[in-house]
Amino acid sequence: MTTIAHATIVMERTYSTSAKRVFAAWSDIEARKRWSAPADNIRIEYEAADFREGGRDVSRCIEPDNADYVATVNYLDVRKDKRIVFAEDVVHGEKRVSAALISVELSPKDGGTHLALTMQIASFDDADMEQGYQFGWSAALDNLAKEFSA
Amino acid sequence: MTKRTTSHATFVIERELEHPPAKVFAAYSNQHSKAKWFVGPEEWRQSDHQLDFRVGGNESVSGGPPHGPVHKFNGEYWDIIENERIVIAYEMHMDDTRTSISLGTTEFKSAPTGTRLIYTEQCVFLDGHDNVHDRERGTQDLLNQLETFLSI
Repeated sequence: MTTIAHATIVMERTYSTSAKRVFAAWSDIEARKRWSAPADNIRIEYEAADFREGGRDVSRCIEPDNADYVATVNYLDVRKDKRIVFAEDVVHGEKRVSAALISVELSPKDGGTHLALTMQIASFDDADMEQGYQFGWSAALDNLAKEFSA
Repeated sequence: MTKRTTSHATFVIERELEHPPAKVFAAYSNQHSKAKWFVGPEEWRQSDHQLDFRVGGNESVSGGPPHGPVHKFNGEYWDIIENERIVIAYEMHMDDTRTSISLGTTEFKSAPTGTRLIYTEQCVFLDGHDNVHDRERGTQDLLNQLETFLSI
């Protein structure tokens, strides 16, 4: 019997830089590879990258002693320097473990940029992807700050 | 300049259906069946319903009240397990404006009397358009039409 666990996670950060630079860190694939890996021993490789409305990415999250997590992203709504909405599907080994709808909103705050990340997750068959998203994105958003400190 | 906003919501609808899961699932997977119930109210103009029911396949339908705006549904199937589960991500347009994006999961569970259907929708409403109350009501209407279709 299949099961689905639904969850919504919201994360917020404020970066001391412009919305233009935060948006660029998402749209630039090289920047995204740097900041989206949640730990030093995890790396992200892209099999396809097409950041635009209607575009699709396929990325592989590679960590030691575990099967790769392959994420397919469809960009559904992209407003430059303001908003990105995408649907994402994650396959672990041979098994589809989750589907999620993710929105990123950028707005001005205290001379910097406020980022709100909302993840609406459907996790399949006890895969516990809510915890996976919590861990992965929390670390990634912290890493993102380092892109602007250089 | 449009102010860009998002509003997030989740709603769940459960139905007890007096039909086995395979029959209920077929009302979703078969294009001819789905076109009969997955439509707007009778007074709406209807256009072609398209369904390519497989993972990665698309579904679209549009319609609207006479002289009113055209509501367009466009989705892609992300996960399908026969007789058990369907996952779709879909967007709605009102004329040329994208008004919402949703992740919809439908679960078909065997129940003593037939099927317990659980539909969960996680929605993002864009730029102040539409709202979860209307979306849930519209979805209830569609499931009513599904029940009518199944009982014929």
